[in-house]
Amino acid sequence: MSDWSKVTRPVPVANEWTRPFWEAARRGSLELQRCQSCGSFQHPPYATCVKCISVDLKFEPVRGVGSIYAYTIMYHTGDKRFAPAVPYASIIVELDDAPGALMAGNLLGAPFTEAKVGRRVEVLFEKLNDDITLPQFKLSNSPAG
Amino acid sequence: MPKWENRCKIALSGVGFSKVTRSADLPLAVHALTAVKGAIADSGLKMEDIDGLSTYPELPATGHAEVDGISVVSVNCMMAMLKLPNLTWHMQVGSNNIGGAVQQAANALLAGVCRYAVVWRAMHNPKGTYQNLPGAQAAGATQFTGPFGFGGPGQHMAVAYTRYLERHHQSRDKMVTLALVQREHAQHNPHAFFYGTPLTREDYFNSRMVAYPFCLYDCDIPVQGAVAVVLTTAERARDLKPKPAYLASYGQRLYFEVAGRIGSLADYMEGGASSAKLTWERSGFSPQDVDVAQIYDGFSASVIYGLESYGFCKQGEALDFIQGGRIALDGELPLNTFGGSLGTGRIHGLWHIIEGALQASGRAGSRQVKDVNVSFVGASAPIVTGTTFIFTREPY
Repeated sequence: MSDWSKVTRPVPVANEWTRPFWEAARRGSLELQRCQSCGSFQHPPYATCVKCISVDLKFEPVRGVGSIYAYTIMYHTGDKRFAPAVPYASIIVELDDAPGALMAGNLLGAPFTEAKVGRRVEVLFEKLNDDITLPQFKLSNSPAG
Repeated sequence: MPKWENRCKIALSGVGFSKVTRSADLPLAVHALTAVKGAIADSGLKMEDIDGLSTYPELPATGHAEVDGISVVSVNCMMAMLKLPNLTWHMQVGSNNIGGAVQQAANALLAGVCRYAVVWRAMHNPKGTYQNLPGAQAAGATQFTGPFGFGGPGQHMAVAYTRYLERHHQSRDKMVTLALVQREHAQHNPHAFFYGTPLTREDYFNSRMVAYPFCLYDCDIPVQGAVAVVLTTAERARDLKPKPAYLASYGQRLYFEVAGRIGSLADYMEGGASSAKLTWERSGFSPQDVDVAQIYDGFSASVIYGLESYGFCKQGEALDFIQGGRIALDGELPLNTFGGSLGTGRIHGLWHIIEGALQASGRAGSRQVKDVNVSFVGASAPIVTGTTFIFTREPY
């Protein structure tokens, strides 16, 4: 299993578009940007709805369960901060509640060999500091979407 | 569809190369100057003939400073070096990579604002780690990727590749064919970094994994070097030294990508398809008409996405399509006949454009494919920067 204890992650810098996402994560809630016009979720946050161009966007809570859409196993140790964790699984998750919205994370609490397309995962929260908490993922027994 | 009025109105004439080196012993500006002078000489032109300049000055290595003349070579830098007495047009592009600069030069020639345009791509290999994650803080689009260890484009493309492999029940082992064939092609290209260095099946499978499914030989090697071309109107090109390659058509990626979204296979497929559609329609050709193809291969999977999104084979089939000698020099669709970026080193897509033109004009030396009439080029990864081109031996 990847040892994340010695890794110092780059800390996200919230901006006008993304602050609600990080404030929700700090409270232990996963909220994604949703178009109030056509109803679709999107991630990362954007100025407009990428489906219908509406600018009426709000952040709404989603259940943090979904499937691994894609992944890579990182072996390269070019960035020394992440070297203690290699090989590690960086994954892209598509949540059941937000099809098409792709979230990046790591697969935590399981060997990297468990990362497979379609594998069920659920969110957990990894606190980086008082301001920033990362939504991350672990394997889940939840039934497919 | 009516004939595109600009079909074969522009031609690619001279080509030039600097020595491609692993380390940055010479300033990048010197590499660019060597390539540009080479292209002008290849055309049989003089400095005073050149009146157009275009490039895409960019260092794709993240976390390194862009210093003009050292890590990029801007139009301004080239103007200062060449002191062209008759310059009338220059433009550096901020999107679509070097294919965009070539298309801008073609557009300028069509508009009549210059007569002989030079386009170059100069690539720097910085000291230290090529791709760095964001520093202590991840701002902008990287706030959703950097904290999870996503660094450069290799990892971004690797995630789409796992999606591809597992959804299409394909095996990464099949990619060895692409690596071996391209390295073999590089043995016919004296300018290539890996000229004189063959690759074996064992080398591929024993190499270290970088970002699964990419091993070392799925990634182009960062190098220091530059290549350049002379573009002019077809009419003028016929009076120059080399046989021209006629630019039948070109297109650019129209599909957009949301900043910070990674892993979407659709972003690659839709991007490539949108560029190719323009290129097929403007030329009147279809993939079945193509005699030789150059498809950008900064990472091996880019070729797979290209073959499928441009329409050479169906989705999910490209790893089978490349087998059985099809992409060899004497195959049904010779592919990346100059070695590709995997063979030449990381110079980006201008070299693919150069090879597409050399094959069309019959100037590719020992790697010349027989009876080339239609030569296709996909000059960047189809996702963000995709541009596509068709060169022909004769105007039609």
